[in-house]
Amino acid sequence: MIELKNIHKKFRSVVALEGINFTARDGQVTGLIGPNGAGKTTALRIIYTVMNPDRGNVLVDGFDSVIQSSEVLQKIGVLPDARGLYPRLTAREHIRYYGKLHGLRGQDLESKIEALIETLGMQEIADRRAKGFSKGQVRKVALARALVHNPQNLLLDEPTNGLDLASSKTVHNLIHQMRNQGRCVLFCSHIMHEVASICDRIVVLSKGRVAAAGTVGELRQLTGKTEIEDVFLSLSGDDTSW
Amino acid sequence: MVNFFNRQTWQRIFVVFQKEVLDNARDRRSLLIALIYPLMGPLLLSVMISMVVTVTSSKKVVRETLYVHGIEYGPDLVAWLEKSGITVVEAPSDPKQAVQRGEMETVLLINPLFSEKFLKQETADVSVIVNTSRLPGLIAVNRLAGLLGKYNQTVWGERISQRGIDYQVLQPLNIKSVNVTSGAHISDIFLYMVPPLIIFNLFMGGVYLAIDTTSGERERGSLESLLINPIERWGLMTGKYMAALLYTSVAVVVQLFAFKFGFHFVGSSGSVFSHSLSLLDILLLFLAMFPLMMFAVSLQFIIATLTRSFKEAQTYLGLLPLVPAIPGMVMVFAPVQTQDWMMTIPAFSQTLLLGQIVRQEEIMLSHVSLSVAGTMLISLALLMIAAKLYRRETLIFGG
Repeated sequence: MIELKNIHKKFRSVVALEGINFTARDGQVTGLIGPNGAGKTTALRIIYTVMNPDRGNVLVDGFDSVIQSSEVLQKIGVLPDARGLYPRLTAREHIRYYGKLHGLRGQDLESKIEALIETLGMQEIADRRAKGFSKGQVRKVALARALVHNPQNLLLDEPTNGLDLASSKTVHNLIHQMRNQGRCVLFCSHIMHEVASICDRIVVLSKGRVAAAGTVGELRQLTGKTEIEDVFLSLSGDDTSW
Repeated sequence: MVNFFNRQTWQRIFVVFQKEVLDNARDRRSLLIALIYPLMGPLLLSVMISMVVTVTSSKKVVRETLYVHGIEYGPDLVAWLEKSGITVVEAPSDPKQAVQRGEMETVLLINPLFSEKFLKQETADVSVIVNTSRLPGLIAVNRLAGLLGKYNQTVWGERISQRGIDYQVLQPLNIKSVNVTSGAHISDIFLYMVPPLIIFNLFMGGVYLAIDTTSGERERGSLESLLINPIERWGLMTGKYMAALLYTSVAVVVQLFAFKFGFHFVGSSGSVFSHSLSLLDILLLFLAMFPLMMFAVSLQFIIATLTRSFKEAQTYLGLLPLVPAIPGMVMVFAPVQTQDWMMTIPAFSQTLLLGQIVRQEEIMLSHVSLSVAGTMLISLALLMIAAKLYRRETLIFGG
């Protein structure tokens, strides 16, 4: 479970987040949606401890992201926006590297790697060096290395952006699988239909604040609109930078 | 609170180290800098030394030839030269041009009035044409000047004796020059070029790795993912740092052995080079250099962390090796007397120590300790700065 309590963050004079509160629960897919510049990536970066909030705190399974960052990092798996690979390492070596950084070793690690390669359909590229991988292949490797330690909480920043249909479907299936296992999935995207279709709850961010939160039905009720685009547009104050 | 003694942290540091070593071992550029670049300096120096050795020692065997213009004007002088073991040959009609073209090193010009003046016991003129910009020319003119000086003294002695004056009275000093840089040893000066070459190489060895693992990682977009692993940032940096240090060490060791083999090869005639750089010397050199390697890699990490892109880092770090090598290059021409305080300065102290070890001069333990301790301290301070820079939020953006 991920809890954000009154998070504030400023970059010099630019206010990125202004008192964000929301909770992403276990066994649910929580969607974080908002126009460009709404603060989605900053909120995620604070959760995954790469940035510290100016005020407020983040709890991941009860651990504070600033003073217990090491515990938090063991509890989360992240597919960040920047997901570059090492061109001279194979897909398998990427997953192994992250596994070892999580303290996994030996047969336990190798069987986890093998399972991920199978789940994500990476058999063909497993022992190929990453140079020249397609977008979809890169995404799969990045996902696999984020999942190697079996994290309770999964944070995905635009996981299907630029992917073909088949790869998007693999990612969606994986998200559902994680949810059914009782894990907490925080799904961040600006693709409205995708969020609406796979998320149990949605948090709409706009200009560094939580504009609304709830199920798709609750958000429809709140805005009085039926078309999902209209719902989100109206919640973000008709911001045109989606 | 930073915990340096956590076993788990060090296991993870080693994971990062292993990954960077493997990753860069697959990179042609990293390998080129660590394994091939270090050979360049020793190769160049060995070629230069062997050429100088050839030039300075070849003349000993054959009977010397001297080109003279105007043989007919100075029969006495020519006779004396031939008696002294010189083969006198008529010079071409345009001696200046011939020397310029390098057909010969020197030409002795005898003035048409030479014999006339000589017989009147007046000062007779001779000139020497030489191209001193060439080392063989310099050596030849030196030898010729010596010969002519000897002739001068002989004639002068005879004339004085004819006047009934004791020659010895007018010669308070009999100067015999003992040239210690006999033959091949003239190239010993090249030993002064060893320290700046080593320092340059030392600052180059791990540079590609330092850039690749910091600005490179950021530019590839793999840094942010890497930071989301349960390893503290100082640990992450330490793993990368150790990998860069290993590549630097490899470059230094490769170069030291290249020097050893290069010198052994050119010094086969029994010069100082064949004795230079024993295995013990190499070990000592490596140990004396180790704190400087730490210094170099720390500096590279600071610069690579602060720069925004791979290219920017490459620009700064490409120039960096020149700076510490400058004192060494200056000292090739103007050696300095070593003072204690000099031993506290990174790069400079190692330049001095390297020179002493390579030239097999006496090395003071106090100097070595000062150099090692001083550089180590400064390196650790730089390393702490680098770790601090790694902790910044802006690490993922650079600048």
